[in-house]
Amino acid sequence: MAKLAGVFASSHAPLIIRGWKDVKPANQQDLRRALTELGRRIKAARPDVLVEIAPDHWVNFFIDNLPGICIGMGEEHEGPAEPWMKDCPFKKISGHPKLANHILQTAIERDFEPSVSHHLTLDHGFCIPLWKGGLDPLPPIVPIVFNDLEPPYPSVRRCLQWGTMLAEAIRTYPQDIRVAILATGGLSHSIGEPTMGEIDEPFDRECIRHFENGDERKLVDFLNERLPTIGNGAAEIRNWVAAHGAADRRGFELIGYCNCPEVYVGCGFASWNLAARA
Amino acid sequence: MRDYWLSKLFFDLQSSAPLGEEYRAGRKKILDRYPLKPEVRAAVERDDVAFLAPRVNPYLLRFYFVVAGMPEAEFLRKVRTAGAAAAARSSHG
Repeated sequence: MAKLAGVFASSHAPLIIRGWKDVKPANQQDLRRALTELGRRIKAARPDVLVEIAPDHWVNFFIDNLPGICIGMGEEHEGPAEPWMKDCPFKKISGHPKLANHILQTAIERDFEPSVSHHLTLDHGFCIPLWKGGLDPLPPIVPIVFNDLEPPYPSVRRCLQWGTMLAEAIRTYPQDIRVAILATGGLSHSIGEPTMGEIDEPFDRECIRHFENGDERKLVDFLNERLPTIGNGAAEIRNWVAAHGAADRRGFELIGYCNCPEVYVGCGFASWNLAARA
Repeated sequence: MRDYWLSKLFFDLQSSAPLGEEYRAGRKKILDRYPLKPEVRAAVERDDVAFLAPRVNPYLLRFYFVVAGMPEAEFLRKVRTAGAAAAARSSHG
């Protein structure tokens, strides 16, 4: 059987790439340190496959067909399409159709209704943490797109349940491989809204505290109450919630937090200590 | 409520670098391909962020004005003004 070898989360602010020269040196240092440590921890988990949960930033889907959750089944995915991601080393990214299909079948058995795609383009949301975390060569990726950009979003509770199911799917995969999960997005930010550029550090810190204390009800209540009141980018914290569910709601460790106005994002990086689950 | 064809225009422009270049060289030819409502098209032509913002996903709004060549500071000023105007309208019932 497969082993869940690690669970991780990372912000993916585009301006880390296309506005890097304008980031203050101290913030550059914090971001570089956090991404490097994130990459180190993922590599230390020695994943044979990485399941990555991220939003789609209007690359694969549009409002004529907008899945809530979509599993990437392909043998190969395209690298990022954004012109400013042209230096990203990942032009073609290997998939893992067998594990993707096992996750799909487990989801159906557990009364979830994911959509599937047999050919996804993995945009900056997937690729910035992989690239800047130094994960080259990449393990095969099973991408799971959560719609965090355009309502209706999956509910916070459903994302938590998705994570629980995902961990079960990994542990019941009938092959002796190591699988890690990386969720990307958040924390607070606002894009294309009147509040664009605003970072709500008190929200971010409280959110982190809820992940740390592991109380599922308080985390869900907090996010249900606060997500509608802050910038749209924080909707991506749903992906962290799924990771939290996969880690059985325990063992959250903050790798780093950087309130970085130059990239418009309260950037967070984390891993879950799976040994702490007992 | 989203305006479908406005959203489609913005989506297509941010999806294709050549289309973006063509658009910056002359908007009319591209705009003619989309059945935009007259008032929506007029708002696009005058870069009316306040009018467009409620009709399209905020990420697409932001991506569109990057493609259209609006300087970041100008977009931030306009989108924030749009928010202030909406709040003022709201506070007046």
